[in-house]
Amino acid sequence: MTEKKHFWNEYQKEIADDNYFYERSCIRQSFFPGSETAFLNILRDELGLTIIDDPNQHTCTGIGYHSDVVPFETTMTVCARLFSLMTDAELKNYVPSCVTSFGVFTEVVETWEHFPEELEKTRKFLREATGREFKIPENIAHPSDIIYKYRKELKQKMKYQLVNCHTGKPLNAVEHIGCHYGKIFSKHAVGGAEFPQVLAGMIEEWGGKVIDYPERRHCCGFGFRQYLVMSNRGYSVANTKKKFESMEPYKPDFVLTNCPGCTMFMDRWQYTIAEMEGKTYDDNQMGIPVLTYEELTGLLLGYNPWDLGLQVHQVQVEPLLDKLGIKYDLKDKFTGKSGTYLGEPEKPEYLKVSYE
Amino acid sequence: MKYYDLLMQDVRFREASTACMNCGVCTAICPAAEFYKYDPRLIMNIVQSRDDQKIEDLLKSETIWYCGQCMSCKTRCPRGNVPAMVISVLRRFSQELGFFIESEKGRQQFAVKRTVGDNIIHTGYCVHVDKVSPKLHPEQGPVWKWYFNNAEEVADRLGANYNKDGAGALRKISKENLDEVRKIFDVTGGSQLYENIEQFSAEKAKSLKMSIDKEGLNNEYFFHTYIENSNNHQK
Amino acid sequence: MNNKHVIIIGGGPAGIEAAYYLANNGIRITVFEKDEYPGGNVKNWAKLFPDFGDASVVRKQITEKLKHDNIKFLNNTKIENLAWENNNWIATSGSEKYIADVTLLATGFEVFDAKRKEELGYGIYDNVITSVDFEDMYKTGKILTKEGKIPERIAFLNCVGSRDEKVGNHYCSRVCCITAVKQAIEFKELVPDAHAYCFYMDMRMAGQFYEELYRKSQEKYGVNYIRGRISEAAVTIDNRIQIKAEDTLSALPMKMTVDILVLMVGIESSESTTKICTDNNIVGPYGFAKSKSLFGMDNFSEKPGLFLAGTCKRPLTLPETIADGRSAAVEIMNYLKS
Repeated sequence: MTEKKHFWNEYQKEIADDNYFYERSCIRQSFFPGSETAFLNILRDELGLTIIDDPNQHTCTGIGYHSDVVPFETTMTVCARLFSLMTDAELKNYVPSCVTSFGVFTEVVETWEHFPEELEKTRKFLREATGREFKIPENIAHPSDIIYKYRKELKQKMKYQLVNCHTGKPLNAVEHIGCHYGKIFSKHAVGGAEFPQVLAGMIEEWGGKVIDYPERRHCCGFGFRQYLVMSNRGYSVANTKKKFESMEPYKPDFVLTNCPGCTMFMDRWQYTIAEMEGKTYDDNQMGIPVLTYEELTGLLLGYNPWDLGLQVHQVQVEPLLDKLGIKYDLKDKFTGKSGTYLGEPEKPEYLKVSYE
Repeated sequence: MKYYDLLMQDVRFREASTACMNCGVCTAICPAAEFYKYDPRLIMNIVQSRDDQKIEDLLKSETIWYCGQCMSCKTRCPRGNVPAMVISVLRRFSQELGFFIESEKGRQQFAVKRTVGDNIIHTGYCVHVDKVSPKLHPEQGPVWKWYFNNAEEVADRLGANYNKDGAGALRKISKENLDEVRKIFDVTGGSQLYENIEQFSAEKAKSLKMSIDKEGLNNEYFFHTYIENSNNHQK
Repeated sequence: MNNKHVIIIGGGPAGIEAAYYLANNGIRITVFEKDEYPGGNVKNWAKLFPDFGDASVVRKQITEKLKHDNIKFLNNTKIENLAWENNNWIATSGSEKYIADVTLLATGFEVFDAKRKEELGYGIYDNVITSVDFEDMYKTGKILTKEGKIPERIAFLNCVGSRDEKVGNHYCSRVCCITAVKQAIEFKELVPDAHAYCFYMDMRMAGQFYEELYRKSQEKYGVNYIRGRISEAAVTIDNRIQIKAEDTLSALPMKMTVDILVLMVGIESSESTTKICTDNNIVGPYGFAKSKSLFGMDNFSEKPGLFLAGTCKRPLTLPETIADGRSAAVEIMNYLKS
């Protein structure tokens, strides 16, 4: 637990211990496919748990719902179809990979509890459209909840710690929770809405130090339509910028994120700010690496960084790997599935990258 | 029917709108309020006035399109209101009534529909690597461009099953599954909303003498709604 | 009435005032106080609103009244159980049982635990304090940051734990607005060059001389009043407090850094009140004691012989609490006569 005593610190929600139905995230699959692979491997190979990856799944429509092109009735029924896949697999524990999905599912289930007529309407819609029936999950947990639950067991297997191997000091970590994890329903967040412990608990268990900076709880700036439409992106980058300006004096070694969207924005907007304003928030003009919790867990377990997908981050992670004492092969970094070397990405003008 | 009664038909409005006492905690932490000429508290205030004209003006305004749906306001409101949810309901009716084309930010719903909206129906994903082209997403940077150009090699090295049958990340979603999703859209009003957005946008495009096409992104009206910025929104 | 025994649970202003008047009428009284010293929450204040009277003097005047031949005062005695058995009230504390004809519940209030509003950082950040902490600090003659620095900026936030569905307290605690005015003046007298901001939703100045004091705080002391509730407090790298609120009168979100943030904590039912009222089926909203009727029967509970006085019923000011204790004494005497 964090050094500082938070009222909700001890709040633990129920997280099922095995037999999960995995629902993939549009954003995580697209931007960080290695994270989803790593999560399934960690559960199956390291923890010996059962998790189903159903080929018949699809989007929850969450991004469409929150950018208001998909009506709530439609979203509820699409969620119901995903629940019917879980029901068919005779599972009860639903694990959506995306924080937006997590928020959507908890909102949908909460709505059904408060307004049973909405549940009946959804059942009717699903039957009419697909002939399917479904059961409401007994447990909905985000994948980070499961990693958090098993953080001690995983620590036993880890080859590295969140400690600077040159100085012996804990690494400074910024954790970013993602608004829809706890702000919609605080009861669904480990440690409550204000200071969720889900990422902080991992960081501290694995030897790192969590930074508490003024804009810690502020949104990354995704804003759905505020990013999806090009002319609105000023909103998105301005919010990320506000966070980085606020965390800069604390000299974070890395940012750990819960939500795939936040990971992408906090990574890409650092590049954009660097190119537009000639500004980075580290001392070396390279930016602050932003990691998913699956990538962090995989790294500490000793997985190859280039199998985890760290090469698809715009802000290079090598400075962090060096601090952790993790060795890596630069030739392997840009090698594809077939073993072919794919060439290097172009270099940005201001943001420093090193491919040697 | 009065607009307020219309809003009350949505279960989310009934849940999200109790009496507001104008304390401002929503606006205080709102990412949009810091960036735009925007104040979620005032939206709650207008809605609770139940004034038909004011609500109609709101439905036609830029204001309701500034919210980023982060839901930070939900956590904090001491009266249990959810301004972000009320806004979502206002957006719904703005689109149902065709009022969204009256504002620059409202017209962008066409761009959202042609991207995310059509992605859902055609691919089963809201977002997919293939749909995030460096041209429309210059901020994604050179590493993304590299990944985008080598998508199958890169994604599959990371354990994906890029655009192929079967399970896994970025798999091709089968026709049977897509058909079920489409049928859900048909019976639940999702397809109707898409049609509304298309139909009202086509009228607007016509009045602006812009091409719009039946689908896709290669038309004047798409770029108009995707890129146009009067720069009249910020504080 | 000389053979009658009344037990009073709670040795605060209401309980003592009632005890004194009953004792003067020859009634045998036992007052139970869970703490070491009598006087209840008055001990939390240095000076009292609205006249800046010395709270320790007032407290002494109140507690002196316990020195009466008919009053037995038992400190460090928490009544765990109260029940009506065989036409008597039986109060239990540990292994001791006390029998009485009448019980007066004067169990008072507790201040809201500000840690429950986690977004405001109390208990997390050193320089977020409560109005009670402010009083304690004021007794030392100095208001300083945790680092021992004289603050350049201080903010007071009203309605912490009051008018807030999220903590389950919909009601107004009535005393916090005027306490903020008082404390802002006290601060400005100590540090005239500093800035004092008071964040409020409504300034509820509904007591005698309150409005005048509010005005004086503006005119003479330059206290700034901002109509907006603070949404979030966070710590800066130099251990100051960053606050976010909306200035609702100009409809602008604002961010400000202050050296100290004072949370004006509200009034909640005390643990003893809620426990005893629940056991005796006289519990009202928010765990307060429920009186028979606000109009004329306000010292009666639904249980014959079980009377109520003071802030166990609802938030009250100190003068109101004392008057209510006296009023309860009259009702009890009438009851014992009949």
